[in-house]
Amino acid sequence: MAEQSLTLAPQKAEADEKVIRPVQSYWGVVWQRLRSDWITMAALALLLFMVTISLGAPWIGEHVLGFSPTATNLRQRNDPPTWAAAAWPQFQAFTLSCQTSAHCDWSQWGSITSAAVEGLGTCLTAELGGCHWMGTDDAGRDVLTRGVYGGRISLRIGLWVAGVSMTLGVLMGLISGYYATTFIDDIVNAIIMTLGSIPLLFLLIILSRIFQPGPEGLAILIGLFGWMGLSRLIRGQIFSVRERDYVIASRAIGTPAWGIMFKHILPNVSSIIIVSAVFNIAGAIIAEAGLSYLGVGIGPPLPSWGNMMQGSLGNFTDAPWLVITPGIFIFLTTLSIYLLGDGLRDALDPTLQRTS
Amino acid sequence: MTRYIIRRGIQSLLLMWVATIIGFTVYQLAPGGPLQFLDDDPKKSQEDVNRLERLYGIDRTLPAQYIAWAFGEDWLPATPYWRSGRCLADPTTCVRGIVRLDFGRSFHYQGQSVIGLIMERIPATFLLAFSSLLLSVVIGVPLGIISALYRGRWPDNVVRVTTVLLNTVPEWWIGLLLLIILGGYFGLVPLGGMQTIGDGSLLDRLHHLILPATVSAIGGWIGFSRILRFEMLDVLSQDYVRTAQAKGLSRKAVILRHVLRNALMPFVTGLSGIFLLVLSGSVLFEIVFSWPGMGRLTIDAINSRDYPLMMALFVISSFLGILGVLLVDILYSVVDPRVRYDGHMGS
Repeated sequence: MAEQSLTLAPQKAEADEKVIRPVQSYWGVVWQRLRSDWITMAALALLLFMVTISLGAPWIGEHVLGFSPTATNLRQRNDPPTWAAAAWPQFQAFTLSCQTSAHCDWSQWGSITSAAVEGLGTCLTAELGGCHWMGTDDAGRDVLTRGVYGGRISLRIGLWVAGVSMTLGVLMGLISGYYATTFIDDIVNAIIMTLGSIPLLFLLIILSRIFQPGPEGLAILIGLFGWMGLSRLIRGQIFSVRERDYVIASRAIGTPAWGIMFKHILPNVSSIIIVSAVFNIAGAIIAEAGLSYLGVGIGPPLPSWGNMMQGSLGNFTDAPWLVITPGIFIFLTTLSIYLLGDGLRDALDPTLQRTS
Repeated sequence: MTRYIIRRGIQSLLLMWVATIIGFTVYQLAPGGPLQFLDDDPKKSQEDVNRLERLYGIDRTLPAQYIAWAFGEDWLPATPYWRSGRCLADPTTCVRGIVRLDFGRSFHYQGQSVIGLIMERIPATFLLAFSSLLLSVVIGVPLGIISALYRGRWPDNVVRVTTVLLNTVPEWWIGLLLLIILGGYFGLVPLGGMQTIGDGSLLDRLHHLILPATVSAIGGWIGFSRILRFEMLDVLSQDYVRTAQAKGLSRKAVILRHVLRNALMPFVTGLSGIFLLVLSGSVLFEIVFSWPGMGRLTIDAINSRDYPLMMALFVISSFLGILGVLLVDILYSVVDPRVRYDGHMGS
């Protein structure tokens, strides 16, 4: 008998295995959906690339570009990109022709392009540190190197802001949703209403001027004013979850309020939190750029995408590379984050039918 | 209706009061102060310090300082004027401070009253803000309608891709770039300012206004087109639209009479958010376009550490924001009768 059962048991398991389909976890399904969406995967690749070059900025600065982000060279202030050294004066002559005469002298573009192409050739073959790909700034520092380094600050701030505002948003949302229609909810709503009816940029500028924070401090300041949207979303979601049977059952067996919140309600709103965290990072990068551009964000020795443009205030038409380079970095990073967020929103929604 | 307006009015007054408290708190947090220059003075005596503290009113407790700052000196119970009882008999003689928009004098622009400095700049900010609001409606509403009606087809895709792309860079950066190309290289628009000196003609002013207004409207029209697309799609799926179609109405009549009218309602709520966005954004756009408004004054005040001016700018811009939102809410309650009864504004 014992022998029989011993031999039978594995056979039975084998038979069961043929029927049981592989278990699909929620995150497994999410990953599958993400993988089949090529735009999201491209965005993820671009974001990973931006993160990698930011993390590897010291190595890239030393071995690929050949410049230090803080090494000044007062003989090369506001130099055009090395490959455009010959083309830039011609381009300036072209713009002068646009402003002085009635028609632009488009015939100059032939020599401008050929000079630029020739310059690109010499720049590609130049030795390490021989080519400023995006020109130099008002202290003769290499703009591209600073741009690569700037990602360290911007992404760090983005992550911190997302952390701060997500924590605040989740806490406030959970509290006000769970204690809806009590005075706690009223207080949270009053705070949201106050923050929603004053121009926050004014306050943010004044506060960051007074405290002159470092990257983390600035991120906390930005995060303090960025949680209201998420809090509202979560509050609304809780209204639909809190009267479900399993929540009522859990309350009936005596689970404390915070237990219900974290065990039963939070997992239900996790997809909202993830998606808004992703969008929050992009928003924070843009906010930091604005504050630093105004001169109240990240201070000058540290390169950030915002304060790199600050130096361009007086001479942006003579040195457009100071404006263009950080803008391209911001564009690539936030574009990848936005597309990733869009893809995540679709992938995380379990009720979404794949129709397209 | 009247009850709703009264309630929102009281709410707004409370919000303004909270804004003054935030302003005062931030002012207190600021390092330094009017007596900081004495810190390194070896000849200072305690008597001098006391006398100066009394002069600036900083020997009082914080609540007393707040009352003096916000409502006027005479409301402090210790002052002779209060003891004489005249303040209670005729409050208008005593009310000073912020209630009368008296923010004291500027540190940096010596001797000038803060409110005078701000009042000089407000018209410029309003001109920019309202023209960009107008442009965001003019551009955003048609785009929203088009992308809802052609949902999933190329016009919708073009609008959506454009909005995503515009969202991924700071709007003021787009302004800077356009300024370089159109202004710096092609000389099509002026490089900044409100008018050419000595030329105050309407055409010249419009020429200076066009680029700043268009660029600062970007956020607004993205917002409006999104709201409108969402609302249109929502209304298009309603039963009464299907009924109207089933009844044999033409597509044009259905869209104009049934869909658009209902979709435009929530659009008014979007207006207050976008008004705040434009007001807030004025700081950045006024710097980029050298526009002589409140935003630029804020940066000047900050760079010269002019705390009275800074605080006044914060409080005034908050007042403007709160009043703007109130105005939109009242407008909304006039347009949409449902609001008056349950009193909630939706999102």
